[in-house]
Formats: sequence, C-alpha cells, structure tokens
Amino acid sequence: MSRGSISLAALLWLVIAFLVLYPLSILIIESFKIAATGGWGIGNYLEFFQDAYYLKTFLNTLYLSTLVLVTTTVFGIPLAYILARYRHLGKTIFTALILLPIVLPAFAGVFAFIIFFGKYGTVNLLLMDIGLTEQPINFIYGLHGLVFIQALHMLPFIVLGLSAGFTNIDPSFEEAAEVEGASGFRRFFTITLPLCTPSYLAGAVLVFLWPFTDWLTPLILGQVDFLPSVSYINISYHFTDVHRKYMGIVAVVVSSVVCISLFLLARWWVEKKKYTGLSKGTTSEGRVIEPSAWVKSGAYVYMIFIAILVLLIPIVLGLAAFSRRWVFEPFPTYWTLENFRLILLESPGLIKNSFLYSGIALVFGIAFGLPVAYLIVRTRVPGRDALDFVITLMLAFPGIAIGVSYLLAFWKGIPLAQYWIIMPIALFARRLPYFLRMAHSSYLQLDPSLEEASEVSGAGKVRTFFNISLPLLLKGVLVGVVMFFIMAFQEISTAVFLYKGGWETLPIGIYLNWHRGMEFGIAAAMAFLMIVITFILLLIISRIGGGVLKAAWGAGEN
Amino acid sequence: MKKKTLTAAIFIVLSTALLLWPMAGAKVQAADKIGWVGPVYKELSASLTAGFKAYYKKTYGKDVDITFVRPGGWPVCLDKVRAWGGKPDADIFLGAGAPAHEVLKKEGLIVPYQPKNSDKVPADWHGMKVKDKGDYWTCFAPWIVTNLYNEKVLKRLKLPPPKTWNDLLDPIYRGNIVHTLPYASGTMHETIEILMQAFGEEEAWKYLRLLAAQLARFSTGSTDTTQLVARGEVPIGIAQPQMNAMAARKDGFPVRDLLPEKTILVPEAVALLKGAPNEKVGKIFLDWLFSDDGQKYVLEGRYFASNTDISFSKWEKEGVEMATHAQKALGVDSFWDLKVDFIEYDLDLATKRWDEVNRKYEYEIYRKWGELKSSLFLIEDVEGEIAAAKDAKMDVAKADAKIKEARKLFEIDGNYPAARLAASKARALLVAP
Repeated sequence: MSRGSISLAALLWLVIAFLVLYPLSILIIESFKIAATGGWGIGNYLEFFQDAYYLKTFLNTLYLSTLVLVTTTVFGIPLAYILARYRHLGKTIFTALILLPIVLPAFAGVFAFIIFFGKYGTVNLLLMDIGLTEQPINFIYGLHGLVFIQALHMLPFIVLGLSAGFTNIDPSFEEAAEVEGASGFRRFFTITLPLCTPSYLAGAVLVFLWPFTDWLTPLILGQVDFLPSVSYINISYHFTDVHRKYMGIVAVVVSSVVCISLFLLARWWVEKKKYTGLSKGTTSEGRVIEPSAWVKSGAYVYMIFIAILVLLIPIVLGLAAFSRRWVFEPFPTYWTLENFRLILLESPGLIKNSFLYSGIALVFGIAFGLPVAYLIVRTRVPGRDALDFVITLMLAFPGIAIGVSYLLAFWKGIPLAQYWIIMPIALFARRLPYFLRMAHSSYLQLDPSLEEASEVSGAGKVRTFFNISLPLLLKGVLVGVVMFFIMAFQEISTAVFLYKGGWETLPIGIYLNWHRGMEFGIAAAMAFLMIVITFILLLIISRIGGGVLKAAWGAGEN
Repeated sequence: MKKKTLTAAIFIVLSTALLLWPMAGAKVQAADKIGWVGPVYKELSASLTAGFKAYYKKTYGKDVDITFVRPGGWPVCLDKVRAWGGKPDADIFLGAGAPAHEVLKKEGLIVPYQPKNSDKVPADWHGMKVKDKGDYWTCFAPWIVTNLYNEKVLKRLKLPPPKTWNDLLDPIYRGNIVHTLPYASGTMHETIEILMQAFGEEEAWKYLRLLAAQLARFSTGSTDTTQLVARGEVPIGIAQPQMNAMAARKDGFPVRDLLPEKTILVPEAVALLKGAPNEKVGKIFLDWLFSDDGQKYVLEGRYFASNTDISFSKWEKEGVEMATHAQKALGVDSFWDLKVDFIEYDLDLATKRWDEVNRKYEYEIYRKWGELKSSLFLIEDVEGEIAAAKDAKMDVAKADAKIKEARKLFEIDGNYPAARLAASKARALLVAP
C-alpha cells in the first residue's frame, strides 16, 4: 500500500461524497419525513410493509426480475457462444444488431412494438384483414409483453458479458478437458460456463436490477403495479398530497436496498471464485471453432430470428418517422420529410446537447473509473470495498431517485442544478457503474503476476499501468467505454428531472413529443435519428478500432 | 516595442468600442418590455409572442421584449405572484381558469382593466362565468372538460360515438375506453368531481366502478390519453382538455371532441397585475389580445378564441390554419355554438376534498382493478343465466334477490369479494332454489 494510492483514494472519495453520498442521503432523509405531522419517524416504512398493495407491487417486481433474467439467460447463452466461438460471416453486423436495443432509450423500443404488435397495430390489422382473426390479439399488454420488451432490451448485457467471458477464457483449460475426454456438452457445462461466471454475473446483475429501475416501460404498457412505476407516479404526481410523495421515496429506498443486497451477493460469489489465466497475455482472439454445417445453419437461423426482432425497432420507427397520420393502417400511407424538417430546423440543439453531455460524462467516467477499478482490484487501500459499494448504489438507485435527489441537493445550498453542467455530471454519476463493472471484471481476469513482473523489472506503477495493464485490459475497457457512452446517450430517467429549457437531449425530446401525444411522428423521427447516429458511431469506432473492437465484442476474424 | 504597444492600444480601444457600441445603440432605441406569468402551454406563448411582436413593430415602429415565466401549474404561478409581494416581475397573468383569478382578485394582486373588444366576450354562458363583472379578469381562451374519440377507429369497429356519460357504460364499448388516474392529471380529477357534483356522490362512485370495468387500461396522464386515442390504440379517451382534439387533428389524427352532457367550462383568462412595471405595454397587449388579430394568434396557439363574432369557416378562408382543425374537432363553426349543459361547480368543496377523492379512487378502484372486473363480470354472467332461466319459466325469485344484493355490494359498497360471493350464491340458488 503506497502513499500514492491512499491520496488517490482520498481524491476519489471526495468526488463520491459530493456526487453520491450527499444527494442520496438527502433522499433517504426525505423518506423519514411524516407528512401529517411534519415530524420524523419510521411511519412511512411501517405503512409500506403493512399495505397489501405495496407488498403486491414489491413481489410483482421481484417476479418480473426473475422472469426477465431467466429469459435473457436462456436466449443469451447460445447467442453469446455463437458470437464468441463460431467462425461465420457478418459477425460484426450481427453483433452490432444484437447490441442495438441498449443504444435506444428503452421506451423507443416500446413505442415501436406498440405500433407493430399493438391492439390495432400492424400485425393485428394484417391478421384481421386476411380474416385469420376476428378480434385483435393482445400481444404486448400484460406481463408477457413486459417480459418480452425488457428481456430484449437487456439481452445485450448478458450477451456482452458472456461472450467476453467465452473469449477471455484461456483455451488451455478447455483443451485440457478435451484431452481428458470430456464431450462438447460436458465440457461446456463443467468448464466453459463456470469459468464465465464472473462476466456473466456482471451482466446478470444489471438485468435483474432493470425491472427495479425501469418505470416507463410498465407505464406505457399500462402495467403500473411495479415498484418503480408506483414510485414515479407517487413522486411526480403528488400535487398537494405530500404523503404520497414520501411513500414514493420509501418505495425507491426499499427497492434500492433489495438491489444492493442482491448485488453484494453476486459480488461475493465472483470474489470467491477468482478465475485467472496465466497465458492471458498471449492470446487475444480466444478460441474459435468451425462448427458443422447443421450447427452453423441453426446458428444463423437463431441469430437472424433475434436480429429481426431487434430490427423491428428501427424499421417501425423509420416508417413512423417518414410518415404522418399513421392510424389504423398496417402501413403508413402518407409519406413526408416534415418530421425531420421540424427536428433539424427547429430543434437542432437536442442533437448537440446529447453529444456534448454524453461526451463530457464519458471523459469524467474514464478519468474516474479506471483509477477506481485499479484501486478496488489491485490495492489494499482501506475502504476500497466501500468505494465499490457506493458507486454500485448508483446502479441500484432508480434514475428518478437520482434526478429528484440531485434536484433537492443541488438547488439551494450548492446551486449546481442551475447550470447545464449538472446534466453531464448527473449522466456521469448515474452511468459510472456501467464502465466500472467492465473494467472491474477485466481486472479480475488479468493475472497480477504480469504487472508484478513489470514492476520487478523496474517500471513504476504508472508506467506499468500504461504499458502492461492498459493494453491487456483494453477489451474490457473498450467495452466499458462504448457501453458508457451509449448508456449516457440514452439516459432519460435522471435527465428528465434536471433539464431546463434548452438543455433537452434526444431522449427527452422523444419522451416529450410522444407523451404530449400530438407529435408522435416527431418522436419517432427523433428515435430513428438516434438509432442512425448511434449506429454510425458504432460503425466508425469499429472501423478505427478494427480488430480490437471486434475482439472486444467477442468476434473472431471473418 | 513601441509599435507593439501602439497596436495593442489601438486594438483595445477598438474592441472596447465594438463591445460598447451595441449598448449605445440600444440606448437610443430601447425596446419596450412586457412580462407574462402563467400556466399556458408552450404553443400558445410562442404564438402570442410572435403575433404581439409583429403587431407592436407595425403599430409603434419599435421592438418589444417579451419575457414569459411558467413556473408550473396555476397554484405555483399564483405562489410566484404572491412571492413578488406587490412588486411583480411581470405585467400580465396569462392563463388559468376562474378559480385562480378569483384568488388573485381576492388577494388584491390584480387590478381591473377592460380591454378594447372584450365586450365581444360573453359575461356568462349557461350559468358559468366567462369574465369578471368588475373587469378584473377576462377569458380569452375558453375550453370545456371533455372526452374525445378516434372517428376512424370507431367507424371501423362499427360503433357509434357515445353521446352521454351513461352511453359509455354500454358493453359495446368495453375495452375501448381509456382514462388516467385522478392523481396523475388535474383534468381527470375534475372529471370525477364533475360526476360527483352532477349525479351525487353515491351514484358517481357507482358510475366510476362500472366505467373502470369498461377500460382497456389506465393511461399515465391526460396527454397520454390523447396519444392513445390519436393513434387508435384505444378509441375513446375520457377527461381531456378540449383543445387536445384540435391539436391532435393538427398533427393529422382523426380525433374528435366528445362533449359529455354534464361538464364545466374552464375560462382560461388574462389579468393585469397590480404594480405592473410596464403597465402601458400591458394594456396595449390586452387590447390586442381581444382584437381579431390577437384572437387569431390564440387559435394558432392551439387554444379556442373567446370572441363571439368569430366563425371558424371565415377564418379558414383568411388562412388561419388551426380554424380548419378547430371546426373539424368540435363540429361547430364557433366555440359558443357548442350545445352544453354545465353543472354548478362548487370549487371550495372540490379543493377541500381533492386528496381524499384521489385516495378513494386509488384504494377502491385503481388498486383493486383486477378484482373489480372479475367481480362485475361474474355478476353479469349470473344475471344472464337468471334471465335465461326466467325465459325457461324457472323459479328465479331467490336467485334474483341474491344477485341484486351482489350488484349492491359491488356498486354501492365497492366490496368486490363479497359481491363475487353473493353472485356465486345466486348461481347456486338458480340450480337448487
């Protein structure tokens, strides 16, 4: 333990104290306020746990989380395996497509599926037109629709985690199993999968927490009895009923506590099973297999199936973006560029804001995230677990809670919320864990002896980091950087509470135009624009980054 | 060295002059100012800003700087004016219905002024006040708490537009209606209050329970309702500000206003603040607002204009774009041609029990929506069976009495499990009386 790492830790702690501890403690304080008397107490919590309705929403949320996790895992394992291990054409395109849902604000996907699968959406209208059905089929309103939409949205996290795991496993482990005579399936379940546990859990935790955070998808689908939606309604729409607001905050705090406990459980598991391979430095592509023709065509069919589901989002939004008056018709009949004209001429600032805020947040994120990952995994600085714990809090806390707490904390005393810099700061704080998780699990897989060797040879800590650790970490770090920017770009739950006129980002523009109900075409056009921008961004990075990025996504050479 | 200093000096002088020049210029031709505060939608403030600036430039040959503050809904705007304590940072209170302006008047925060042309605004309409007798406030953009429907979808479903509150309970509309929660929307809250005051509390809650069983779902707010109706996902939307139908039409959606037979008027009004720093410009604005020109900008701002001499068809010919949409949405040529039956709305009562009503709705209807529906559907099933048994000349007296009890448990007490039980007993009595 050097003095350098202690002062580094102190600096990072200062940032955390200011951006996380202070606002969140204000949120918790609020939850103990009693509306009726104006005093303090645990009355709100007692009510929460004695009220059958809140308990029901709580159990609903837990149930939904489980369903979403099971669904993403079942669909994600084969997908990640195909992407990481099989040699096939169009790997980059498939990978990009499967990652697409996370570049979109969750609700843009919901809108697309409502237009397509809704009660009088394209599919139902076509079915009724050709006379297959009399009444519209309920495809998405209900738990099944919620699981479908949330699972598709979160699938990339499982796939990213697992395929990084599949790629990073030292091939010699599997080869050893093969030599010992383990068959394909046995090897997969006894060697490959267990070795991927750390990277799987990194993604799985995010997936499991999602239903505790996503307030908008249930609301749009008319399924309100889930904790985050109930909190949102209670906090946002309390009018004069202050008690309702406090109950909303209590719901937020309760769900956060659940999430943190589950998260700690997962982390304890990862730490218990530290998997590291010595030869990590020598292979960057991992193990690539040439499967049999049957397996390969099966793999293609499977990937195309998922890709079509994902592609529906940009296609449907695109149709809506280039048309108006799309009502009760399977496909639009009135085509126009009016929506884009309105966006580009009347509100180009939205696009600029999105890039500016996410970019600044990303710079903050890297400057903060790499040292934190280093401290947590490689040093024995006291309080490093606490540092990780606190940063993870930001994952567990729903965006609305962060938005509200920032508004409370940075309005009067420290009037940060009156300047636009609050937007990138909030994005940074909210999305930090996405970068950190990836850097963290990459660090776990990097054997310390490589760094020790460098230090023994006389290189300083900083030089070792840049010459040895960083290049080896690059996969994880690049995944983290891409993820972070993407997540900051589509953030809405926090931003929607903090933005002022002129600070709107693209997701807020989509939300406002959709929710105000009258400019549905503009909302679709904005969402479409967002997909295009992000997709171009991904392609540019993958061209510049070449093999590195492909490797980062778990893809082999074509 | 000397040369450098000289260059620097020249540079400094020039740049200072350049910086100060616009200020000096501004002093010569200082733009007049006016400030608005109020809860109106962004489209209206934008439209009025454009219109008034053009008018001012044309009439006075000067620019006018307009500041518009919208700190929140009307109670928040009211607080803002109170906080200014007689030295307001604005001149005009723009928007909000009679309740807000009555409070402003009572607290002495506004002063009387009779804008030119405001005699074209009726003093009252079917018993609801449209402007203040003492000229403290005048309505410039009236609207009605209303419902709306998607004409294209209803036609395709071969359903007639429901005419009355009771029509909405017709089983043919089941699953085709949407509204939001009273605590998510002031308009929804007012709709419940209207029902309570129009039909009596017991009858209103009975009605709300039955209506809840007709819903496809709850929406997240009144604009979400508009959106669902506009896109046809649910063809009938309850509890809407009347302008929403017109606004949706503007965007190309086949939506129409569905005026219920009992409702209230919201006379979106304007008033001059006491101690207004730019009183003169404020008065010019008020005069302009009620002129033909000003009223057109109100309509273009997606609110209905208040003057009685307006006809949408005439304005349509004059190139007012929203006039077409207004006419199609309302189905009449002037706002005041609407056939309405307003209730006598007790605002004090409504304000007092605001939270209580919301909570009652939440606990008795929203939270038990699933139970409510299954209970009612069972009752309806058994009622059908009893009717069939009656036709088959069976003795149904006991079952009939029991099912009536189930109805009462459902409608009056809101005790859904007990109602289910009673319905099951009625069914048993039908088989073995």
